Amino acid sequence: MAIPAELRDIIRRIEDRARAPRPGRRGTSIEEAVGGAVEGTERGPLLVVRRRFPLAHVHGDQSLAVLRLADPECLALLARDGFPPPDPERLLYLDTETTGLAGGTGTYAFLVGAGFVDGAEFEVRQYFMRDLDEEPALLAALEGLFRDFEGFVTYNGAGFDLPLLETRFVLGRRRWPGDRFHLDLLPPARRLWSGRFVDCRLGTVEQRVLGFAREDDVPGALIPGLYFDYLRRKHPGELPRVFDHNRHDILSLAALTGWVVGALTRAPDADLSAEDLAGLGRLWQSRDAERGEACYRLALTLGLESPGRERLLARLAVGEKRRARFPEARALWEEIVRLQHAFDPRPWEEMAKIDEHRRRDFVSAHAVVSEALVQARGAGAAEAVRDALTYRLGRLTRRLGGGRGR
Amino acid sequence: MSLQDLLDALLTSLETGPLITATRHFDARPAVFAPFPSSLDPRLVEALRSRGVTQLYSHQARAFEIVAKGEHVVVVTPTASGKTLCYNLPVLQSLVQQPEARVLYLFPTKALAQDQLAELTELARTLPDMRMFTYDGDTPQDARRAVRGRANLVLTNPDMLHSGILPHHTKWLNLFQNLRYVVIDELHAYRGVFGSHLANVLRRLQRICRHYGSAPQFIMASATIANPRELAERLTGEPVAEVSESGAPTGDKTFICYNPPVVNPELGIRAPYLGEAATLASRFLKKKIATIVFCQSRLSTEVVLATVKTMVQDKTGDSGIVRGYRGGYLPLRRREVEQGLRAGEVLGVVATSALELGIDIGHLDVAVLAGFPGTIASLWQQAGRAGRRSGRSAAILVATSAPMDQYLVAHPDYLFGASPEHARINPENPFVLVNHLKCGAFELPFEAGEPFGGDVSAHLAALEEAGLLHRAGDRYHWTSETYPADHISLRTVTSDNFLVIDTTARDATQTKRRQIIAEVDWKSAFSMIYPKAIYMVESEPFEVQELHYREDEEKVAYVKRVVVDYFTDAISAKGVWILQRFARRDSRGLAAEQGEVLVAEKVVGFKKIKMGTLENVGSGDVELPQQEMQTTGVWLSFDPAVLARISPSREELVDGLRALTYVVHHLAPIFLLCDVRDVGAWLGDGRPAETGVVATRESTRARLLHADEFTPTIYLYDSQPGGVGLAERIFEVLPEILGHGLALLEACPCRSGCPSCVGPVNEVGRVAKSAARALLSEIVKPA
Repeated sequence: MAIPAELRDIIRRIEDRARAPRPGRRGTSIEEAVGGAVEGTERGPLLVVRRRFPLAHVHGDQSLAVLRLADPECLALLARDGFPPPDPERLLYLDTETTGLAGGTGTYAFLVGAGFVDGAEFEVRQYFMRDLDEEPALLAALEGLFRDFEGFVTYNGAGFDLPLLETRFVLGRRRWPGDRFHLDLLPPARRLWSGRFVDCRLGTVEQRVLGFAREDDVPGALIPGLYFDYLRRKHPGELPRVFDHNRHDILSLAALTGWVVGALTRAPDADLSAEDLAGLGRLWQSRDAERGEACYRLALTLGLESPGRERLLARLAVGEKRRARFPEARALWEEIVRLQHAFDPRPWEEMAKIDEHRRRDFVSAHAVVSEALVQARGAGAAEAVRDALTYRLGRLTRRLGGGRGR
Repeated sequence: MSLQDLLDALLTSLETGPLITATRHFDARPAVFAPFPSSLDPRLVEALRSRGVTQLYSHQARAFEIVAKGEHVVVVTPTASGKTLCYNLPVLQSLVQQPEARVLYLFPTKALAQDQLAELTELARTLPDMRMFTYDGDTPQDARRAVRGRANLVLTNPDMLHSGILPHHTKWLNLFQNLRYVVIDELHAYRGVFGSHLANVLRRLQRICRHYGSAPQFIMASATIANPRELAERLTGEPVAEVSESGAPTGDKTFICYNPPVVNPELGIRAPYLGEAATLASRFLKKKIATIVFCQSRLSTEVVLATVKTMVQDKTGDSGIVRGYRGGYLPLRRREVEQGLRAGEVLGVVATSALELGIDIGHLDVAVLAGFPGTIASLWQQAGRAGRRSGRSAAILVATSAPMDQYLVAHPDYLFGASPEHARINPENPFVLVNHLKCGAFELPFEAGEPFGGDVSAHLAALEEAGLLHRAGDRYHWTSETYPADHISLRTVTSDNFLVIDTTARDATQTKRRQIIAEVDWKSAFSMIYPKAIYMVESEPFEVQELHYREDEEKVAYVKRVVVDYFTDAISAKGVWILQRFARRDSRGLAAEQGEVLVAEKVVGFKKIKMGTLENVGSGDVELPQQEMQTTGVWLSFDPAVLARISPSREELVDGLRALTYVVHHLAPIFLLCDVRDVGAWLGDGRPAETGVVATRESTRARLLHADEFTPTIYLYDSQPGGVGLAERIFEVLPEILGHGLALLEACPCRSGCPSCVGPVNEVGRVAKSAARALLSEIVKPA
């Protein structure tokens, strides 16, 4: 069968248009609009925008100067990817603007921005495909740039930017330099701020942590459409705003890295807030349990509020239990019971276990479980929870009875 | 009592003997062996010997030789002839000898892939470096990366290749760089829409392979169809060698045609075939003879299963020796039944065609086919489920009262002599093709002028105009945020499905939980789930409350469980308009033409029909938009002189033509390897109303009766938008269809029409049958 009528109509319209005179390119070029220059690569010309900031540049209220001094150990602790601590001056702060979020081989990274420390300055370099056939040039430029650096810092790069770039590299028949240090700042950001902020998107975090407010920012969801518009009309249109957006993302990423590394290096330090200390403690805990707990204790001293307070107490209690310091653990669980607003069976169970199995004080254990059951009923706890308590109580009653019979 | 004794009793008893319209005996055939090919790797020879295989069947050796020569091959041999070894041998050979080699297996279902993996694992146990995995919707996310990295043999299905593998080909770099073989089993399953899609998926696969510098060889296997080589060549776009001489032995086999007794001669009504099938199966099962019953729907499977279970249960009421098997059962349950059958713990199984494909269930003695499965190819597949390599087996076809079944049991020579159907596909269906061009562009930009099957420059330009592609230099790039494969199902042409959601519980509990009870494709939705329609699931009635079909809404129907004693039947208005003529053939007063048509259909109301008595107990109106599609069709018009000779009454002629439409529509699928629903039929006017204005059957009739000029026209068209090749085939075989139609009417014992020939007499009218018969006698060439 031939092409159906709808398609035929479309084709006819194309043919009509081909006969009509094409509108010429008017106005400014994209190079001028974004303040860049076309540079040569081994695979053809490419638009590159370079912006340099003194390291003393303050983004929000965070200076970029700390990046140079960032503690490599702390960077490695945050990255948790097994690579040795990197030289902070050999990291690339990377962010891509893409033609969609779908992933797969049909999504292009049309604008790749990379920030890095260069002597006393921080450079943000942006590579842009003026049309999709400039991808080989973009990849050639990226490969050259990546060769000069030791690792990447990204925001959600593990899930998005890096796999996407890897796909582009493979498609372009280039070796992907993936086997290297990568700090994706999103997971640590979640540890620090999820629950405290509405979400952990970079836009939210930069505002709350760095005090940086963007003006007239392009919403990310509109970016692919703006690029497609540009491709068809070959007119800069709104694209300069996309370049700004990307540059801001990179500056925020770098500044935020500086903030997190700085705080992590100082912790536990009393100039940090109780909430921050709670999060920093979690980051330290995996590497250095004592330092993690020190952060927790300082957070408690500084008056961390419920329900974060109970969470930290519970973590400390688990630590004490692991070290077989049962009286200390029991005291912490008891404090949690005193503090908590909503009924939670866990501290009751932990106390009862310590009483029953460690202190072998069945009377106390019985009392704890009886009280827990009363509270569980009062709070309308789930049946499974009540059943578990009832079962435990029954066993304790039997043990008490047996003791008496002997 | 042996199987032979039971068969003798069946054939000779006064009760059943007369119901047997034909018996055919197929003699046992000895095996034709061939030695192991000299190039076969000694490790493979050893693996085969350890499983007791000391030589090959001739077709297995032949396939091995052809593959070794570097040619693509399709193997077409009967069920249980050792077909899988035809592809497993060359594949394992390459994996043993070339550690880098990669192989892809495609099966139409996930279950078949699982089954094959088990068989392969068994065969390859002693071979080095075998890393075989399935990769499909059931593969856990965290296991997928490992499969991509490790596997040298991947078993998957076309849907997964289409939406999960090709769009991510960079993650499969190793596979595509080193792809040596692509194995496609159950090739016959890829016909119509599915096949048209697969041909395009394979074009995409070949593009990706070219990109990575590989050129895989295709090894295919098919059940018996008329044109395996043609199908294989159309699917792959490559020349393919065919191996169709089976060297496998077969045992003695008896095939019996059984027609349920007539219980109402006047209306031509026969005893329910499901009950007859259940009774027959029980006869064998009671004597401990392993039996499989094939049913045509999930519902009839349940009906037959329940009946057989009561018939065979032991004194304790246990009927566990008989199990059901159909789509919709959980995989675990299915595996259990398969295992039970292989081990002999399960003696009988009642199944849908889900068991027709190559799932290994060992060998059974008797197959009872409750109704003609729709195609000759399926008939032999299902019958082939009974049969051991030695010893006796039997297959019994129990006819329904549908015209096709009645025709077949009355004309056993046709049944036994018929070549199986042609599998038709149409990869150039513009809707299918354009969708795969989108996916192809997503995977790799198209070079201007790059062929995709044929020349696609106009399509690429159209996609650019639509904003989906962008041309930069000489290449078309994908420029949309969407992931096109997600929106394209390989099983339909248009992919919007309606979810049917039960809200009965929601009203009671106020929950927002969505209880999805069924899915209905876009095409059937308007005639099945219109507001107030009764929609049946597992014989339980639900009433449709709302249907959401607008473009910007999610496509859902909300239904509620009801207690009613009626079902609903949609009344639709229709129209067919000829857009373009491609071919015409005139003979004996009949003009047959083939071309492109526009079909418009609109559901305007419904009848309520009482269950059991089938009385009309009410009706209602329906407000739904008209649906239009372009497709390919065939239309028949008649010489006025011929019509005048048959009857002076237009009324009688219209009734006769309507009867003829019914006959042709119901017989056509025999030649097409398709279902009755894949073809649409309509009796209309050759000078139709204004384009797009539809009319009900009754008003079309009135129009025909009162028009100045009497130009009735029978339209037959492909139900898939754009067509999948059925209309072209109907045009080719029309003379045969009409010939068989005449034979059917001549043989049918009813007086003036029944469901088995021209349709129920109260629907078609008293003279319809004789008029249709007279018309056919005029236009059919005497044999």
